[in-house]
Amino acid sequence: MAPRTITPFGPQHPVLPEPVQLKLELEDERVVSVLPAIGYGHRGIEKACELNEYPKNIYLCERICGICSAIHGMTYCDVVEKLWPLDIPPRAKYLRTIWAEMARTHSHLLWLGLLADAFGFESMFMQYWRIREKVLDILEITTGHRVTQSVSIVGGVRRDIDEDQKKHCIEVLKDVRKEAEALNNVLVNDYTVKARTVGKGVLSYDQAIALGLCGPHLRASGVKEDCRTQGYWAYGDLSFEPVIATGGDSFSRAAVRAGELYQAIDLQLEAFGKLPEGELAVKPKGNPPANEAVSRVEQPRGEVFYYAKGNGTRNLERLRVRTPTYANIPSLLVMLPGCELADVPIIVLSIDPCISCTER
Amino acid sequence: MIMLPTVVRNLFGGPATRMYPVTTREPFARARGHVEFNEDLCNQCGTCARRCPAVAIDLDKEKKEWILHPDRCIICEVCAEVCPKDAITIAPQWRAPFYKREAIIYHSKAVKEKGEKSSE
Repeated sequence: MAPRTITPFGPQHPVLPEPVQLKLELEDERVVSVLPAIGYGHRGIEKACELNEYPKNIYLCERICGICSAIHGMTYCDVVEKLWPLDIPPRAKYLRTIWAEMARTHSHLLWLGLLADAFGFESMFMQYWRIREKVLDILEITTGHRVTQSVSIVGGVRRDIDEDQKKHCIEVLKDVRKEAEALNNVLVNDYTVKARTVGKGVLSYDQAIALGLCGPHLRASGVKEDCRTQGYWAYGDLSFEPVIATGGDSFSRAAVRAGELYQAIDLQLEAFGKLPEGELAVKPKGNPPANEAVSRVEQPRGEVFYYAKGNGTRNLERLRVRTPTYANIPSLLVMLPGCELADVPIIVLSIDPCISCTER
Repeated sequence: MIMLPTVVRNLFGGPATRMYPVTTREPFARARGHVEFNEDLCNQCGTCARRCPAVAIDLDKEKKEWILHPDRCIICEVCAEVCPKDAITIAPQWRAPFYKREAIIYHSKAVKEKGEKSSE
């Protein structure tokens, strides 16, 4: 038996933008076991949310994550609205859906670029991020900010999308779709991409369910499970069908995200077509009542779960957030043993880890 | 080889980046850049300071000062939305980076003197 060594992967590693450590036990170049160590990015946001007045938490919750910040803010608003319960105007529902799908578009473009970067395909990485910049620009035009959009408030949304902006967004989205199709063609058919991703980090249908995974990671193993099928916001009115793949490997995860990229653009175009007229927000009456509520929303990385408990004051008694990466990290313990050290970055990246979400 | 059309297109197309800071992009019309304050309209009601999620606004009622801490400000636009006198606006140009944490002090000029009926 070859001698075993323990190699730390992270918390600072070129492939990981965020701090997580994997202690890899290696036998030569082969991974025998893995122990993830998290806790480098804890900021105590849940506790801080209890100390803040409830409308101020929107901006704090948006800072849980830099990529899905808009969806964090919207989910927080959604769960606080359920305490009354408060019915938000239809236009606000559609606008939330549009912005959530825009966030998904740029998040998946970011991830596809990072995947290309992880196996050294630098030019494809740059191309994906070049397209992503267009999506960020329309986000800035419509919401006022590239990253922390801060468009959602308890009771609705703060900003409207006018006719000119709508026309511009539709134009840009069609353009983005065309360019993404050309690049995804490379991703799906290129020999080098296939050599590095096919058969790496395989999870079967049963394993994916047993591990309790969520999001594109789960759907890549063939499980047809997506929170958007609940029909929250405007998803009930839009034609939505979860994108799945059956391979269960890194390549399938890339394929699912590429498929969701098109789907997100199609959902935005459909929502723009059906955008109803009307009010943007309703004013909540008084403080959140003493009540409990739960909200499940599909983020780019999977299902985010918010729990809120009100006590009749302006502060919440408890806010709990469970983010998708927290559910997906255990799958590394199954996927990594047996793989080559060189494949570790791609397999780790294939779950789309967001550590700042996980630790809050 | 599948990447070739994209590569050829890039060879003849212009660069996607700008030669910053020589060329800069005009900010979008409704972008949230920085907070602007109109001293003539503020009556020191304090709504902005109470609603600011980042505790970036202070009031000194004695000296009639409105104090902004730009290092804390997250430019969320809440102050501009809640201001009953429209004294606060959000301008699209972003604030240049700074090296010292200095507060910006404004003087509220629309405060009613003692004896006058308060507008609050």
